[in-house]
Amino acid sequence: MQKMTVVLTLISWIILVVYLMPFIWLIGTSFKPIGEWGGPYLIPQNPTLRNYIELTTGGIYGVRGHFPPITRYLINSIITASVVAMLTTLFGAMTAYAIQRYRVGGSTFATWILSLRMIPTVAILLPLVILTRSLGIYNTLTGLIFVYPVIALPITTWFMIGSFKSIPREAEEAALLDGCTELEAFYRIVLPQSTTGLATAATFAFLFCWSEFLIPLLLAPSESTMPLTVFAAYFSNQYGILWGPLSSAAIVIAIPVIVIAIVIHKYIVRGLTLGFIR
Amino acid sequence: MKIKAVIWLVIPALVMLLALVLYPTVYLWYMVFYSYHPARDPYPFFVGLKNFGILVGDSEASYAILTMLALVGITIPTQLVLGSLLAILFTAKNTCGKLGLKVLLLIPMMIPAVIIGLNWKMIFFSKGPLNGLLSSLGISPQPWLSEPFGNPYLVLFSLAILDIWQWTPFITIAVMSGIESAPKEVYEAASLDGASEIQTLWHIILPMIKGIIVIILLLRVIDSMKIFDIIYTLTYGGPGIITTTFPFQIYKTGFTLTSAHPDIGYASLMALILLAISSCIAMIIMKLFHIEKLIWE
Repeated sequence: MQKMTVVLTLISWIILVVYLMPFIWLIGTSFKPIGEWGGPYLIPQNPTLRNYIELTTGGIYGVRGHFPPITRYLINSIITASVVAMLTTLFGAMTAYAIQRYRVGGSTFATWILSLRMIPTVAILLPLVILTRSLGIYNTLTGLIFVYPVIALPITTWFMIGSFKSIPREAEEAALLDGCTELEAFYRIVLPQSTTGLATAATFAFLFCWSEFLIPLLLAPSESTMPLTVFAAYFSNQYGILWGPLSSAAIVIAIPVIVIAIVIHKYIVRGLTLGFIR
Repeated sequence: MKIKAVIWLVIPALVMLLALVLYPTVYLWYMVFYSYHPARDPYPFFVGLKNFGILVGDSEASYAILTMLALVGITIPTQLVLGSLLAILFTAKNTCGKLGLKVLLLIPMMIPAVIIGLNWKMIFFSKGPLNGLLSSLGISPQPWLSEPFGNPYLVLFSLAILDIWQWTPFITIAVMSGIESAPKEVYEAASLDGASEIQTLWHIILPMIKGIIVIILLLRVIDSMKIFDIIYTLTYGGPGIITTTFPFQIYKTGFTLTSAHPDIGYASLMALILLAISSCIAMIIMKLFHIEKLIWE
């Protein structure tokens, strides 16, 4: 029995490490100096922090390419993702409350919002480019903040429907009897009880916006407005790929997401399936 | 009276979604009858049903639809089989560190797809680690992104590996949760009856988690039809048009000059077709899952 445990545990963990090897390789490459980028070994022979340092200063590699400092794009990503996360969590919670407690719009409305999660973004982006152009917010962070809710709002709404469902109605009903209006009951009684739900919904919205590539690629392609994901594609051009800086940038983009994911790991499956699976 | 006040809560989200989804859909229907490309025409002009005619004879578009379906056909079954096997191994009674395995499995799922594309471009690189591994096993290095094993169509599998790598853990984690949520008594009763662990899984646990698996698979089908980021970074639809899926063809037609018929009107028609295909699958998902029950009971 003891032997079985050792064998199964060992096999499981070896499989996991092999499975994660591509990402581990990325981490290794991010510490490799320029001569070793294409090398067939994982551990850098002369480990260096140069790739990370250059991210903050920008780098020039002659004809092989160049890249500006990452700071601006980091800020772009943080601003757009956090604003959208807060906005869509608030609006999503409001909508979820109306749907869950008062059946506003019935199941048709709820279903419609859910179906938006499944829309292929590329199909609606063509008109959205034209819409943002005519509103004068094409190629601005405002434009991104305007369009991101199309991916974030369905998620937050559905996540909050699940949260409100699990909050007992007694306190609200008592408040309503005391002469509180429905809106007051929502803000004063229900919202304070659902802080965990709100925080998780906001986190999901943040993650989805942080990872989004297609929308900013088409709506904010210029050097001053693009977020990190579009910046990452910068390192590969027709002359070659700057593997070292690319890897370090990829790590900088991926690490926050991984840390957040580990913190909220209990909710991940629920979030990705929009509450279908708890 | 009661409902009236609550309606205000819905307004902001409703307005946002109408502007972001309903307006574009109406606009697409309008553009279908026009021809326009900013690099070519000063303004859109009416062409009637011409775009439909182009679509009928456009072998690139029909190939792109096939590619999209082929990708779904490769990725989903592989993810299901691989994901379930991993889940069974990781939840076996004797495996230690289950929580650690589960948490680390989140990594591929959560990394932005664009990073996964760039990460694997490095792995597939001609002098990269994959070829290094192959040559140490005595297999000749392959050009993974142009024509592995002498067949350019095999690049589709290189592309599929990325989606499989990213989302197999999703199936694994979901199935693990399903297996773990089964009450302990089930296992005890089964082992008293002399059933092996595998028999218990197949005859008792599988029927219990079948519903979950179906939902996850359908969500995966929808998402793998949407694949864009990894194509953009890994192959840009190439070599030729071999890895150009339908969404990528829409992008090429509407936003670049690299497709056979670059035109916003024509791209709108393809966008509507894509919307129709994914709506059908979305409707099946909704039907399978009882929305009413999910929200209110």
